[in-house]
Amino acid sequence: MYHLVKKDFLLAKKYWFIMLIAAFVLPIFINIKVDFMPRGFLAFFLSTLFIQYLLFNSVSMIEYKYKGHALLCATPYTRRAMVRAKYLFILAIFVGCYISYCLLAIFIPTKIEMLSLSDVGVSILIVAVIFGIIIPVQYRFGYEKSKYIFMFIIFLFPFVFPMMIESMQAHQIGLQDLLPFSQIVQDFFLGILALLISWMSMGLSTRIYSKQNL
Amino acid sequence: MKPILEVKGLKKDLGTFALKDISFSLLEGCITGFIGVNGAGKTTTIKSILGLILKDAGEIAFYGKDIQLIEREFKNRIGIVLDDGYFYEDLTLLEMKNIIAPAYSNWDEAVFKKHMEHFGLPFNQQISTLSKGMRMKYAIALAISHHPDLLIMDEPTSGLDPQVRMELMDILLNFIKQDGKSVFFSSHITSDLDKVADMLILIDKGGIILSEEKDILLDRHGLVKGDTKEINEHTRGLFLSLHETEYGFSGLTDNKTVVRQQMGNVLIERPTIEDVMLSYIRR
Repeated sequence: MYHLVKKDFLLAKKYWFIMLIAAFVLPIFINIKVDFMPRGFLAFFLSTLFIQYLLFNSVSMIEYKYKGHALLCATPYTRRAMVRAKYLFILAIFVGCYISYCLLAIFIPTKIEMLSLSDVGVSILIVAVIFGIIIPVQYRFGYEKSKYIFMFIIFLFPFVFPMMIESMQAHQIGLQDLLPFSQIVQDFFLGILALLISWMSMGLSTRIYSKQNL
Repeated sequence: MKPILEVKGLKKDLGTFALKDISFSLLEGCITGFIGVNGAGKTTTIKSILGLILKDAGEIAFYGKDIQLIEREFKNRIGIVLDDGYFYEDLTLLEMKNIIAPAYSNWDEAVFKKHMEHFGLPFNQQISTLSKGMRMKYAIALAISHHPDLLIMDEPTSGLDPQVRMELMDILLNFIKQDGKSVFFSSHITSDLDKVADMLILIDKGGIILSEEKDILLDRHGLVKGDTKEINEHTRGLFLSLHETEYGFSGLTDNKTVVRQQMGNVLIERPTIEDVMLSYIRR
């Protein structure tokens, strides 16, 4: 499994340097520009999502172009292992982004605020939901078709997301209102929920991929 | 010789093309040529064996065991060379090897290095810069460095120059010299198989036309040449295929004895695999 995750990083090697710069520059830039939301969360979440999606998409494009996954499926690597490696790849990028963000917060605390456990929990939950949808959709429809589906969703996002936030604010919906537990338990719950979503998505992706003709 | 791989009643409908009830066996210690024209179903059959295409029906057994039940063991004991390589072109040979090698439980790094050296392949070269011949040698180095029992190759000679094709045949002959090794080799370039194949399987339009030992098959058939006056309503039926010109005729028969008896003034030659293949698929 480790080697399959390493494979995805190797395929994206052309983009490492740019993404490394993005991991340090984007949070600072967002922190300077944004002052209407919890800045730490937004800077971390948006920069992480950006890096994850670009790396994921680059790897998918290379897989689509060279069809190396067909050769790997003919080796003792199982399709289940290949699907799991894809989710671990996303998780590994998340961890990398978190470390780089923490380094920024330690070295330039005036510009970057440290993340709370809750910020990390919400970020990982949203990332789990987004990639929990993206990965099975890509396994089902392939890189080329799913690219158009995601473009359509990204197009809709700026219209739908503010409406959702507005609606949640208007109705004062927050996680703290939904769960009658302490903050630490709620943060822990977010992590569990993200894990559950990823697990279900992984099961779905494995089912789809195991029925694909390569 | 015992069967190493048995395919029984394999069916796969891909919409515009279908495999129809494919059955054959590969014998241990043999090079089996899988011949047919482009689009006959060779790659679909091989992909079905490798589990890259999911079969609709049929059984595939490796040493008598269903490969679905022993998938990892089966894949650990076969080596694969696919027609387009399916390599990540931006990686170096070493990087690609580092992805493939950990999949195999019995990967032998020393053997791999020996093959790389023997084939003159530099570890740090990018795959996209390899020539077709070098790419094929690299694919073979990857395919045989875990001591597979069965080497499955899909169109390995396609697009290779005669020199590299000859080298490839030597590699296969060296591989098969070892005890218990077998090769399954699909190709539409039948001249390569003339030199190395022990068994031949002919596929056309998704169905197996014949499966036989090469020498028996070629001995059983005869390429008959003679004057067109030898052809009449009765003798015409002795041929699997017949090509007539104003100067004479040539045709393939699987009934040499009767041809000799009924057509006095004809020449009977040993056919090539290509003669046999084309005659059967033109019927």
